Amino acid sequence: MSLSRIWKVLRKDLALGPRSPIFLWAIVLPVALTVILQVAFGSLFDPEPRLGIVDEGDSAITAGVEDMEGIELTMLDDEAELKRQVEANDLDAGLILPEGFDEAVKGGEKPVLQFFIGGESYASNRIILTVTTLDLVRELEGSEAPVMVDIVDFGEAGLPISIRLIPVIVFYALVIAGLFVPGSNIVEEKEQGTLTAILVTPVKSAEVLAAKWLFGVILASVMGVASLAMNGAMGSNWAEVVLVVVIAAMLSAMLGVVVGVFAKDSAMMFGIVKGAGIFLFAPAVFYIFPDWPQWIAKLFPLYWIIEPIWQVSVMGESVTTVWSELAVALGITAALGVLAWWLAKRMQAQMAGQ
Amino acid sequence: MTEVTTGSGAAIQVEGLRYSYGDLEAVKGIDFEVQPGQILGFLGPNGAGKSTTIKMLTGQLTPKAGVARVLGIDVATDNPELQARIGVCFEEKNLYINMSARENLEFFASLYGIKDADAEGVLRRVGLADRAKDRVKTFSKGMRQRMMISRAFINKPDVLFLDEPTDGLDPVTSAAIRRTIREEAERGAAVLLTTHDMFEADELSDRVAFINEGEIVALDSAENLKLKYGTRSVKVRLRDGDGVREEILPLDGDGSSSRLAELAASPDLMTIHTEEATLEQIFIQLTGRGLEG
Repeated sequence: MSLSRIWKVLRKDLALGPRSPIFLWAIVLPVALTVILQVAFGSLFDPEPRLGIVDEGDSAITAGVEDMEGIELTMLDDEAELKRQVEANDLDAGLILPEGFDEAVKGGEKPVLQFFIGGESYASNRIILTVTTLDLVRELEGSEAPVMVDIVDFGEAGLPISIRLIPVIVFYALVIAGLFVPGSNIVEEKEQGTLTAILVTPVKSAEVLAAKWLFGVILASVMGVASLAMNGAMGSNWAEVVLVVVIAAMLSAMLGVVVGVFAKDSAMMFGIVKGAGIFLFAPAVFYIFPDWPQWIAKLFPLYWIIEPIWQVSVMGESVTTVWSELAVALGITAALGVLAWWLAKRMQAQMAGQ
Repeated sequence: MTEVTTGSGAAIQVEGLRYSYGDLEAVKGIDFEVQPGQILGFLGPNGAGKSTTIKMLTGQLTPKAGVARVLGIDVATDNPELQARIGVCFEEKNLYINMSARENLEFFASLYGIKDADAEGVLRRVGLADRAKDRVKTFSKGMRQRMMISRAFINKPDVLFLDEPTDGLDPVTSAAIRRTIREEAERGAAVLLTTHDMFEADELSDRVAFINEGEIVALDSAENLKLKYGTRSVKVRLRDGDGVREEILPLDGDGSSSRLAELAASPDLMTIHTEEATLEQIFIQLTGRGLEG
């Protein structure tokens, strides 16, 4: 097998990719799915509360806001600019901390704190900013909260639906880019006869399939990582996330190669994918419905790629905790590789016999 | 490497080659040779076994029996060295339609390990230089066929397999393609050309093989086939009142010379033409069927 010839076929596929509707679909679909699902269930378009502060005396309240996650802080120099931005809805709220404010609070003087609220701001953001400010002032004063708040969880315990949908989105990215793109690419080359033209050159069928597989691995890896990033699920150890996504892409792309080699034409290929759709996507559904018996998910081959992604990217686990799942995924990939090689011989004879 | 030196020096050497699709025997033990610089025309109707023979010789199908060597290499050995030295023009227009003409040629040149391929020069030979940057999907049928030919030439092959290279094309495009094929043979390439066009076979081929139902029924130069199987004759046209009368006289028949002299002396004589059998007539004579079947 020649790496040089594999690269030449792969380079052609990468160059031709953007001219293919299925390639473009593989790129657009995960993005569209992320937007749709996050709008419906998530917080993609919920803006963070925006607070502007004019700090005339290096207040500890400013430092407290800076340390907080989830609040967008803007420091301003004068009151007029603060008011203008709040009025223009560039900020949800504005706070003026005069010189000596901290000392006055600590001294029990009860100084006036000017807090401007934007008329067009979200009510939720106003509440967050108001409560946060009062908490910080109380902390500055050194007093305890006047009441104890008893927090009681209502509704279903566990992760929000926006998080549980991440496997579905990543699955789409992996299956469309990893399975559909190389699979349809092989079928298209068979239908147009270009595969026959390649195979009468020094290029061997195994080299063509290796190039198609790598094409799927690259695209599925990129789209898998991009989908996780768009959904804020890259976690802290991005290198390990990339590793599990690449292994997932390897299996997905090999499945695509097998389907592409097996299918005689596009109709047959889409028929196979449609028929096997439930079989392919079933593992992702178990993340949406965590009450279902999770062992059933293990019966489906693609569970072994989605579980490592879930654990490492969403749950923040180390890759060492999912090594057995990754080993099974690599084993399935290798078995599919042998199947693809065997089917390729049959395919070549079929093509010549047409 | 399975390179075998053939005593004959033939670029293509085929002995007892057979292939069957299930129970259907498509090629039934054929033998032939093609020397470097020679064009062998495979003439036969659809389904005669022409394309199956090419598929075996180019490594797409593995022969069921017999031996075929191209450039001394057994075609059954799946040898990349062989593929590097052959050029194939398929009957089907299997080009990358979303790539430009130049991209198509450069891609295939790269598969042969050719760096800095002269795609422009090859396109110029087939009259497509001005369309080098255009995507193939914008090309007419004739232009696509010229692209097919140019792709087969891109690696300067020692052996060319051309499957119906001018099928369905207009006379001008066909003539241009035939000219290019002749140039390749003059360069030294052995050419195996399949066609069911008797004029093409007659005009291009150094030798013609008649193939029918998987068997070669005759193999010789077109001239020799005509001499061997055809009947020489003379067609005489004479005025007949307001019309024209034709009379065909066999040159080899008894008494035809006296009748010819008589007609030549006639005041009604218009024209006299010598006639020879066409390849199609000979094919029908040998197989009992036409070439378009």
